[in-house]
Amino acid sequence: MARTSLRRALPHALRHLILILASVLFFGPFVWMVLASLKSSQEALSFPPTFLPQEWRFDNYVSLFEAVPFGLYYGNSIFVTVAATIGQVVTSLAAGYAFSRLHFRGRNVLFVVLLAALLVPFEVVFTPLMSLLASLGWLNTYQGLIIPNIPSILGVFLFRQFFEGFPGEIEDASRIDGAGVWRRFRSVMAPMAAPMIGSFSILAFVYNWNNFFFQFLAVNRTEFFTIPIGLSQLQSTHGTSFNLLMAGSTLAILPVFVVFLLFQRQIVTAMSGGLR
Amino acid sequence: MIDTPAAPAARRSTPRRAEPVNQHRRAEGRAGYVLVAPTAVLLSVFYLWPLAQTVVFSFTDWNPGTGLVTGSVGFANFTHVLTDPEFGRAVANTLVYVVTVVPCSMALGLVFAALLATPFRGRALYRTMIFTPYIAPVVGSALIFSFLLTPLGGLVNQALGLFGVRPIAFLTTEPWAMVAVVLFSTWQLVGYTMIIYSAALTNVPQSYHEAAKLDGAGPIRRFFTISLPLVAPTSGFLAITGVIGSLQVFTQVYVLTGGGPLGSTETVLYWIYKQGFVLFDGGSASAGAVLLLIFGIVASIVQLTVISRRDSVELS
Repeated sequence: MARTSLRRALPHALRHLILILASVLFFGPFVWMVLASLKSSQEALSFPPTFLPQEWRFDNYVSLFEAVPFGLYYGNSIFVTVAATIGQVVTSLAAGYAFSRLHFRGRNVLFVVLLAALLVPFEVVFTPLMSLLASLGWLNTYQGLIIPNIPSILGVFLFRQFFEGFPGEIEDASRIDGAGVWRRFRSVMAPMAAPMIGSFSILAFVYNWNNFFFQFLAVNRTEFFTIPIGLSQLQSTHGTSFNLLMAGSTLAILPVFVVFLLFQRQIVTAMSGGLR
Repeated sequence: MIDTPAAPAARRSTPRRAEPVNQHRRAEGRAGYVLVAPTAVLLSVFYLWPLAQTVVFSFTDWNPGTGLVTGSVGFANFTHVLTDPEFGRAVANTLVYVVTVVPCSMALGLVFAALLATPFRGRALYRTMIFTPYIAPVVGSALIFSFLLTPLGGLVNQALGLFGVRPIAFLTTEPWAMVAVVLFSTWQLVGYTMIIYSAALTNVPQSYHEAAKLDGAGPIRRFFTISLPLVAPTSGFLAITGVIGSLQVFTQVYVLTGGGPLGSTETVLYWIYKQGFVLFDGGSASAGAVLLLIFGIVASIVQLTVISRRDSVELS
């Protein structure tokens, strides 16, 4: 009797042991980051290390905002992320609907071009893209940070897929009721796509917030720095003040972490379903 | 459209009957163009046009700093790229990345997905914690790693010191810098592979496990004989997206090591960036990008065939 319960309990305990170890390895660094951001710079590197700060230095965050204009970077990041996300959602929703439900000449050719463009990562085109932005005068501008990021092939695919799997009767009914294509799109189809809009917005938000490489190439004036760029600048100017660096990292990670906690299920479904 | 038995619908559509059906079609067609236009125009300007330029510039002496092109140089850029020892090293580094990060992140992701496959208390919390590195901004989490790995007072070196190991300058000495990049990237990616494997594991019919259990197979045996073979297509998918993703590695290298020491952590993308934005050799940068593109297309074609196979497995 005791043996069978042990045979049952052992795998269970082993599973928890592995997962606790994994959680420490994968999530522990974030805990350490927050704690270090509240220590003095000596204590952050002290031997032996302290877990909780001996003296809670909340003014590190004040020092951070004095060392670099972090508030400005925050504003820039929020503005650029929100604008690019809205742009991606609106254009992808429109194109996804058109590719799925409307018949127009050249539709299939256009769609094949889109499919082919999916094979070209941004990393292939960035050198000429940046000189294009330069000749438009768009380096160090908000439009330069936002507009090139708006077209989202992935978004078009996700919305097309959504409308393809959507029963046609509702749209047919409103068509028979005399609703033109625009009214059908605005008041029937777009509202029906709300769950997909939600999932895709969250994915797009995380992507745009973390979009370091593009922003790194497109801006070099501090007025237009975003959080990731500001952080890497902070690293080059305050490389040894790990408490400040960790305060910056905490502020950079916080928004995506909150969004993730709130919308975890949508993110996971969107990633495992659509984002193959 | 075809079955219109409802009386109000019939009444309402009476005046419209007069108009030819073609007109509706034409209105729909116009709407189609308008709805597709923003994506199509922006994509052409900011994606396809630069792509065409990349291909054309790869045969010229384009200087991205001045924007000047004085003439064609034939295949000279490609010979330069393929004979440049720094490019060779970047390819080798990327290969090291591929053969370490891709299998390690896949193996760990699968193990965690399997451990989290059945519901139990605390499952959601574990999953959240393991997934967090994947959504955190890379700059921020790479800074945490540079803090943990710093030689004097960093947590990792203090822990190693307990075993009598002298402090290691992980980010500034060979081969440790590459080890740090590999460890960070694996750590960052496991959440993604775990989620994808979790989705695949839910598609494995529970009855298979029940039957094997009746035959006396334990959890580990069931994992190797049932789960592992059935998620093979997903493994193929993750392997290829992992390869494509490793061609795009830049941020963690930039933050952790800056490509150093002595270029030992420079990846292919880092090399292209340096050619274009530091050395202003746009021709070579474009040639490198074209090679990247060709490799990416080959990998994507393999991936597309893997995905179609994966779907057929899921459906059966």
